[in-house]
Amino acid sequence: MAKYAFFLGCIAPLRYPGLEAATKKVMQHFNIELLDLNGASCCPAPGVFGSFDLWNWLVVAARNLSLGESLGADLTTICNGCYATLQEAWHILKEDPGKRRLVNEVLSKINRTYNAKTGIKHVIEIFVNDIGIDKIKSSVKKPLDGLKVAIHYGCHFLKPRKIRGQGSSEKPHVLEDIVKALGAEPVYYKEKLLCCGAGGGVRAGNLDTALEITARKLESVKEAEADCLLHPCSFCHFQFDRGQVELRERKEIEFNIPVVHLVQLVGLAVGMDPKSLGLYENEIPPTYLDKLGLR
Amino acid sequence: MKLSSTKPLIKIDEETSDFASEILKRGEKIFPKEELKRLLTCIQCGTCYGSCPSGRITAYHVRVIMRKAQLGLKEEVLRDENLWNCTTCYTCQERCPREVETTDIIRLIRNMAFEAGYVKKPHLIVSRNFIQTGHSIPLRDQDKEKRKRVGVPEIPPTTLTYPEALKEVQILVEATGFKEKVLKLLGEG
Amino acid sequence: MKTLETPRVGVFVCECGGNISDVVDVKRVAKAASEWENVIVARHYTYMCSKPGVELIRQSIRKRGLNRVVIACCTPKMHRKMFERNVEEEGVNSAFLEVVNIREQCSWVHHEDPEGATLKAIDLIKGAVKKVEKAVPLHPGKMPVKPAVLVIGGGIAGITAALRVAEAGIKVYLVEKEPTIGGQMAKFSKVFPTLDCAQCILTPKMGEVAENPNIELLTLAEVASVEGVPGDFKVKIKLKPRGVDVEKCVGCGACNRACPVETVSDFDERLGKHKAIYIPFPQAVPTAYVIDFNSCTKCGKCVEKCPRKAINLDDTEKEIEINVGAIIVATGFKLFDLSEYGEYKYGTHPNVITSLQMERLMNVTGPTSGAIVRPSDGREAKKIGYVLCAGSRDTNKGKPYCSRVCCLYALKQALIMKEFMEGLDIWIHYIDLRAAGRRYEEFYKNAQIEGIKFVRGKVSEIIPDGNQLIVRAEDTTLGRPVENRYDLVVLCPPIVPSPGTAKLAEILKIPLDEDGFILEKHPKLDPVATKREGIFACGVILGPKDIQTSVSEAEGAAAKAINFLIQKEKIIEPNKAYLAIPERCDACRECIEVCPTEAISVASDKVEINEILCNGCGACIPACPKEALDLKGLSEEQLMAEIEGVLSGSESEIKIIAFVENEIAYTALDLTGVARLSYPSSIRVIPVPSTGRLKLKHILYAFAKGADGVMFLEAPEHEGPFGKAHAIAEERVENYRFDVEDYDIDSVRIWFSKVYVPDWRKLVKVFETFDRMIKDEGPIDQETRETILKKLEEESD
Repeated sequence: MAKYAFFLGCIAPLRYPGLEAATKKVMQHFNIELLDLNGASCCPAPGVFGSFDLWNWLVVAARNLSLGESLGADLTTICNGCYATLQEAWHILKEDPGKRRLVNEVLSKINRTYNAKTGIKHVIEIFVNDIGIDKIKSSVKKPLDGLKVAIHYGCHFLKPRKIRGQGSSEKPHVLEDIVKALGAEPVYYKEKLLCCGAGGGVRAGNLDTALEITARKLESVKEAEADCLLHPCSFCHFQFDRGQVELRERKEIEFNIPVVHLVQLVGLAVGMDPKSLGLYENEIPPTYLDKLGLR
Repeated sequence: MKLSSTKPLIKIDEETSDFASEILKRGEKIFPKEELKRLLTCIQCGTCYGSCPSGRITAYHVRVIMRKAQLGLKEEVLRDENLWNCTTCYTCQERCPREVETTDIIRLIRNMAFEAGYVKKPHLIVSRNFIQTGHSIPLRDQDKEKRKRVGVPEIPPTTLTYPEALKEVQILVEATGFKEKVLKLLGEG
Repeated sequence: MKTLETPRVGVFVCECGGNISDVVDVKRVAKAASEWENVIVARHYTYMCSKPGVELIRQSIRKRGLNRVVIACCTPKMHRKMFERNVEEEGVNSAFLEVVNIREQCSWVHHEDPEGATLKAIDLIKGAVKKVEKAVPLHPGKMPVKPAVLVIGGGIAGITAALRVAEAGIKVYLVEKEPTIGGQMAKFSKVFPTLDCAQCILTPKMGEVAENPNIELLTLAEVASVEGVPGDFKVKIKLKPRGVDVEKCVGCGACNRACPVETVSDFDERLGKHKAIYIPFPQAVPTAYVIDFNSCTKCGKCVEKCPRKAINLDDTEKEIEINVGAIIVATGFKLFDLSEYGEYKYGTHPNVITSLQMERLMNVTGPTSGAIVRPSDGREAKKIGYVLCAGSRDTNKGKPYCSRVCCLYALKQALIMKEFMEGLDIWIHYIDLRAAGRRYEEFYKNAQIEGIKFVRGKVSEIIPDGNQLIVRAEDTTLGRPVENRYDLVVLCPPIVPSPGTAKLAEILKIPLDEDGFILEKHPKLDPVATKREGIFACGVILGPKDIQTSVSEAEGAAAKAINFLIQKEKIIEPNKAYLAIPERCDACRECIEVCPTEAISVASDKVEINEILCNGCGACIPACPKEALDLKGLSEEQLMAEIEGVLSGSESEIKIIAFVENEIAYTALDLTGVARLSYPSSIRVIPVPSTGRLKLKHILYAFAKGADGVMFLEAPEHEGPFGKAHAIAEERVENYRFDVEDYDIDSVRIWFSKVYVPDWRKLVKVFETFDRMIKDEGPIDQETRETILKKLEEESD
């Protein structure tokens, strides 16, 4: 049985715990063992803390990774930001023993070491490699027929491709494969590759700029007449969901596009109860459930 | 940021420094040197700025920042508040034909700006949250309620539950010098 | 081989009008030489290279019965050939002539040390005398060459080369893998900057090829194997079945009209279709139809209709063999596949096309008869965008080089469309507009005047929007992000070598460069020769270029091929490696491993060294564990004798032997002399073809006989004439350094330097440093030397 330690990050546990709950349920459904990772901190956020002090960022990330190493398990995450930090830190420390030594010198102050023996996998990788598209397809109890899904990959799962190793950043297909396996229909929209706008500390430092990017994204989704916006990242979830409220309040723009995380959509399709997946915990109500007759 | 409107002239021999080398030196600690060095091979083709989501809507101009780094206009770049409009989406770095690590270089320049005090207040708040709690944002009562509703423990099993873990993080931010920088900038040093 | 006669040596020391004699005491040198065994004559004279000087030498040979001649003068690279001719005319084989460099490498560089220079001159001359005593006569070989040339590739470059060679009266086989010659140029509409119609200037040349009695045209043909040697290549050619007899077909087209099968046209860059039996274009050469057997259903309708009974549906592949003396490679290019360049949507959206596809759209004989339409719906394209550098100048996902012709052909296509069609709005997106040829900048200006629009900034993304495309970039000159909407987007991808190049290069045994193009012999001075003798190349297979340059190269390659064959035989220099002691050879193949020209093979359990292929580097000789190989012109005996001679001529305190590779390193050394720089006179040069010639035994012998330091000056692998032999030399010396420690010689006494000609100044520092190091170490004591000698003698028994 595949085993991972669940790295929570900040946004999911502290703002959208429904994503945390959905992940646990879905992983259990597919017999993936998900261990609690006790004592983790913020990953730390790559565009935020990486922008302030990269050395500090690397050391704190190494500590989080070492927690997984102590459990003998790779970490897993539902947030592209956490994935960016932890995957990149693993990569740096795996490739360069000199840097690893310097980091471990600091970690020794808290009696920890990190040897890059364990790393991190995004939950997408668990779906594709551990579970497999075929198994997902055959597990579908409530095919999402007729559901038009606008897919948003986010930025940090695919990029930089030379470090992430997840294939093409311009023509990816893994999320389309999963969405199709669930019976839903991915729709093309012009701004498919556009960032949600939250990263790099822009959400905190300049909310209006972040929201303008979000608005462009949502415009394009609306133009394509999608029923929902699907993504694999807690932070994007936050930006798209809470962001629509902020757009309403600050710029008087209404979109009402429901936002759903990949794990939630998979959970829905394999027959789980929408409430238990946290689908009602968003600011924007999940109107697509009406279309699917799943209210 | 205000550029003096009476002086477009750049006296290269007087007003520039080896900013690029400084960035490379800083970056060596984290990123492979040969890769960062590609900054010197930028041909100003504009693919980066052409791809940039912030570039379309703010005055953040990544291509020009790369050029200023090459030429050595350090102060101008560090003081540019638009430096903080990059969402680190990595599209520029992905597409650059010379494989310049634009996004990582922006982060390195931000590190230098942070140290020099050119930083936004909300970022200091986030930093303080992290130093004090181990997370970038607080856990409010409404969030605890939400957690109960969806059936997970009220407080997540992170530094919020384990004080020893928080202590570890606090030792680290002190050892790396980050805590000192933040407190100084907050005026609480 | 042993010499039978007693050597009678003449030593002639040139004063060079003071250039030598002002520093070197030539009288003393001549006197010292006269006292050596076998030296019959020892003279000095003002100018040895002058008529009277040469006459002096010739007279001495005649009157004193000399059979060995040693001339000490300027660098042999100046006058050796002239001296050779003269002594040969007096009956002395050129292998019995030694020219000693006592100017560039002695008087000119030791002007502050006349005593040292004189002692060094004596040593160098003694070395030459001892070497030449052990010489044997050598005679250059001759090999008849086959008066025929194979030209691979029938595009404009191949056609030009074939015609030039044929006009010189030499037979040409022109091999082309498509059913017709013409190459990519046949697809073009017009060419830049003259805007000539491509077909109009090309097809007459194609006709000339068809008519020239010296050219045998083989289409649907590919080279399968090449055996033999330069001057005598045996080539097997695979002929794919045409299905139509070229002699009988008159091109009436009745078969084509009857054929029920359609297939996608490669000639139309997959934008159009043709029947299974088709002619690629009306002016095809040969003028005959061809069957695409991949799509043909063999229904036989064409056979019924053909009035000439020219069709054979059961035609099969054949193989033929030809024999040629030289080969010219002109296999051209294709475009880089941009399907993986995801942000540009090539292959995803039909209205994103390549420049070659645009040539077909623009061509009146193309799939749309010249109408510029959107492939998605066939509607007229009114707004067209060009994306330059689509994958060029790109180390990220494309090719790192500039593809040289795209800027011009984009301007050309835009100008043609602007001129002949109303109301078109054409935009060109670029990073730099490169217009470096004759009349190219003017062409660019014309394009600007005709209203073609330009935006500087590489296109970052292409976004489909129904039938149209949104192109995103930055206008870097304004510093603002821009977007524009087009009906049709034309991508200009980098040119890459044609498919099958890598395989062909393997068959021909010629190296390719890092981008897969053929590596030229020398980028500046020998640009149309490959690294292999007798094989030349021209056109885009050597790198992206325009038609004019391809044609110039083709003319050049043809001239080289003609020159190679015109003498009807070629001279084989005699300084080659050979199996001196066949009894010792057990075909262990160690020599084969190191040979840079693959000249060694195994026959009847012994190795055989091909005289023609061997380049005389000597790298194989130390590789043989049985010491069975030797080198003509610098045999084991000669080398040992020279070493001993150089170390025993004078009573100089410290002696350093420098083994110097004879082309690059030797030239660099001469340059220090020309510049009159100064370095220590302890350095005594022994020229070798490559330092790969040297065994540990030679080095130990040098130390045993009086050397205190040994240097190796070697050419770099890619600049020297012997390729990997130079690299092997370096590796070996690294080992020798440690091996000598077993004989109580400190490894610091060995020095290796890779020498580039432009670095000649650095050599002074190298010599000074080593000389000082050796002086610090002090001379090797006599006991150590004697021990080495004893050990060497024991080992040789």
